[in-house]
Amino acid sequence: MIGLSDFLIVGAGLFCVGLYIILTKHNAIQVLIGIEMMLNAAILNLVAFGKYDRFYNGGQMFALFAIVLAAATTAVALAIILNVYKKYKTIDPDQIHELKD
Amino acid sequence: MENFLQAIDSLTIRFALAAVLLPLLAFVVNVCLPGKNNKVAGWISTLAILTSAVFSVFVFSKVWNQHQVHQQQLWFTIGETKVYAGILLNNLSVLMLLLVSLIALPVHIYSTAYMKKDESSKRYFAYLSFFCFSMLALVVIDNLILFYIFWELVGFSSYLLIGFWFTRSKAVLANKKAFIMNRIGDIGLLVAIAILFSVYHTFDIDQLFGANALVRSTTFELPGGWQFVAFGGIALAVAAKSAQFPLHTWLPDAMEGPTSVSALIHAATMVAAGVFLLGRVYPVFTEVELTILVIIGAFTAFMAATIALTQNDLKRILAYSTISQLGFMVMAMGIGAYSSSLFHLATHAFFKCLLFLVAGIVIHEMQHVKEEYDLDIDPQNVLYMGGLGKKMPLTFITALIGGIALIGLPLTSGYLSKDGILIQAFEWSEGKPVLYRLIPIGAMLTSWLTAFYVTRLIVKVFFGEFKLAQINPGIKLHISDGGWQYKLPLVFLAACCLFPLFSLNPFLYEHAWLLNGFPKITGLDRVNIYHTIVPAGLNILSLFVIYWAYAVYVMQKALPFPEGGWLFRVSYHEWYIDKIYSKIIIGPVLALSKSARWSDVNIIDGFLHLLQRIGIAFSKVADWTDRYIIDGFLHLIASIVLGIGNFARSFQGGKVQYYLFSMLAIILAIFLFKILI
Amino acid sequence: MTMVKALFYLMGFITIASALFVAASKSLVRGVFMFFVTLLSLAGLYVLALADFVAITQIVIYVGGILVLILFAFMLSGKETLANLQQQKDRFISISKLLALLLAVLFFIVLINILFKADINNLSWANKAASYKTDIRPDSPMTSNIGTNLMTTYLLPFEAISILLTMALIGAAHLSRKEKNA
Repeated sequence: MIGLSDFLIVGAGLFCVGLYIILTKHNAIQVLIGIEMMLNAAILNLVAFGKYDRFYNGGQMFALFAIVLAAATTAVALAIILNVYKKYKTIDPDQIHELKD
Repeated sequence: MENFLQAIDSLTIRFALAAVLLPLLAFVVNVCLPGKNNKVAGWISTLAILTSAVFSVFVFSKVWNQHQVHQQQLWFTIGETKVYAGILLNNLSVLMLLLVSLIALPVHIYSTAYMKKDESSKRYFAYLSFFCFSMLALVVIDNLILFYIFWELVGFSSYLLIGFWFTRSKAVLANKKAFIMNRIGDIGLLVAIAILFSVYHTFDIDQLFGANALVRSTTFELPGGWQFVAFGGIALAVAAKSAQFPLHTWLPDAMEGPTSVSALIHAATMVAAGVFLLGRVYPVFTEVELTILVIIGAFTAFMAATIALTQNDLKRILAYSTISQLGFMVMAMGIGAYSSSLFHLATHAFFKCLLFLVAGIVIHEMQHVKEEYDLDIDPQNVLYMGGLGKKMPLTFITALIGGIALIGLPLTSGYLSKDGILIQAFEWSEGKPVLYRLIPIGAMLTSWLTAFYVTRLIVKVFFGEFKLAQINPGIKLHISDGGWQYKLPLVFLAACCLFPLFSLNPFLYEHAWLLNGFPKITGLDRVNIYHTIVPAGLNILSLFVIYWAYAVYVMQKALPFPEGGWLFRVSYHEWYIDKIYSKIIIGPVLALSKSARWSDVNIIDGFLHLLQRIGIAFSKVADWTDRYIIDGFLHLIASIVLGIGNFARSFQGGKVQYYLFSMLAIILAIFLFKILI
Repeated sequence: MTMVKALFYLMGFITIASALFVAASKSLVRGVFMFFVTLLSLAGLYVLALADFVAITQIVIYVGGILVLILFAFMLSGKETLANLQQQKDRFISISKLLALLLAVLFFIVLINILFKADINNLSWANKAASYKTDIRPDSPMTSNIGTNLMTTYLLPFEAISILLTMALIGAAHLSRKEKNA
């Protein structure tokens, strides 16, 4: 049988890859993808732990909510990225380092 | 009586001292006079020497053939040795004293006119007075050390006077040569004095060589070789000062000085100092050493006479004549004719001085002609002269008298002294091996040669036609005898050349009063036949020689010796002695000095340059260290700070990912911390 | 090694490998498409974790919604924008990447360490649930379970989520409007 730890290891790996992507990519959309990856790792965790609760099914419910929230987040983030591009003419997070106009 | 004698003696000493010191005073006054051309200078010197001459006459009259006067004082003490210094007046001293002052007086009078137009006449008279002081002091001093000092001073005055016109390079070369050759003699004299002192422990001339001569009585404690060395030293000194072979080459070159200087110093007095030295130290010589002196003197006399035959410079002819006559004097000393040698010294002084003064007048007049017509000739060259006898009658007559005295014809003083030497030379060679005969025969040959060249000289200058007028027509001679300052000295000296001054009998030399002042040397037995044959033969043949010379030079008869022949060339080039000296001695000395200079420039300076380069290298290393290590360390610190600053700046850079990174790093650190501990 | 386990390992491997590909690729397009693969394999993992409804929801919403949205967002932005987006700096190994890699690796190590320290496989309440047979079995009906729970237990979060979605919709639409004077 697949134990709990196997799922959690995969989740940890995904989380760390996502972390790496966030820290090193010079493209805001790739950073967004990294964020999604980390979210997915968390959702995998939830689902893995949710196996032991048949009645209230907290794990899977929460996983569903998280997926929805991720979608909302992505939509808004893309809109923000669009605005940032309009203003700064670049989406390199390194170039967007000043607050004032 | 004793007191009276002592009083007279002290007066004599005082007069002698005055005679010696007056020229020194004149020298000091002349140096302190202002300007370069002061007329007073000449008269001060002349006055001083006149007074000296008067005092000398007095001293002479008091000491000659009476007891000698000797006073001395303690000079200094070294350890146990006391050294005395003082004045010794014996026959030799007072004769020289009188002679020197009597010769110097006409020369001074002559100089006042001769140097009138020169621009440094004050310096000239100062030097002349200094010389007179040195010479007079030399003849009266009784201490060998002071003798050496005045000997050197005489040489030094000669140097100053030869190079009087020091702007001429020839004069400077000549006075350097004279001084250096004299120096060689001085070394010899110093060595001899040192040896004598180490043996006899005294410097006093009277004790050493006087009546109870130490050199004869006590034995010579050092090994025999040292006595020979002492003789060698004295012979060297005599050869240098009296221009004997091989140290004679300075005297012809010394003619670069003014002619009156040549007359006084290089004819009559300084060169006679060598013979005077021989007279002073005569008792120290052994038989062998005397023979050596004879050979040197005879050879020098012969050599100089042969050279004088072909010279063209008027003063050089007279210079070689002086060398020849000095050879006669040295030879006379060697054969034991002590008194004849000194007699010849006295007579030679008068007629040689006269001849030089005449030469001075002639050269002066030729110089006038050269300047008047702006010619490019040497005023001293006899080939340009001739026929001057008609223009300068008094000069001509006095020159004739001097010339005849030099040749040694009867009725002159020269006859008495020279024939005395020759007769005694023959007596000396009597009873000795045949080889010794060469000496008197050589001396006779030299006398005939003397006759020839003297006649040549007089004839070329005073007889015939003026050669210069034949080369450059249009030259008129406006010359004459000159003022009383020229005439008076000439007349005085000419008078002294004749026999009455020295002997009432013109033909027998033994009657000369001078010879009575000096001891007869044993070993010269009178051989009567010589006393008639020698003078007769000598003089008759001299007359033939004179006529022959007259024929050659006036009537232009041919010479048996052609002008291009090797005999002529050897004589003309002065036996090539100067050239030999130049190659053997001067060449190596110059090479040595060049190599010393090379070593100084390359080795010593090179060593200094090496040190300098090492110092520079060190400073370069220090510079590199300073620039790269010390400054580099500072730069390193600065760049570390810069790097840290740059790193720290990035935390506030505004870059989101960096902020995220730092937050995560801290969280990770906390986790790790929790795990590990 | 049962079939299930082999399948799990395959899915897990594909997930991690494609995630790594996304991390390593410089090109955005390639990254997005490999993310597709990641999400799909994750859905497979959900299935193996006995959460079939979550798997389907993942595919429909995540892959079909979010990822397509991202794709449309940059593909329809115009050529110069694309060119800008495609520009990447060339440094492959730079100090910041190395540091981030180190950080990620360390995080992974920390997580694994805690996993094994906490002895996940033998959790008390998990074992109790397994012994009382209240854990999810492969033959348990999940969909009805989710539907029932959604309307009873989790009604408030359900409503809140719908409000949130509305807000997000309005906000995104407003944010990305065209300016009149642009």
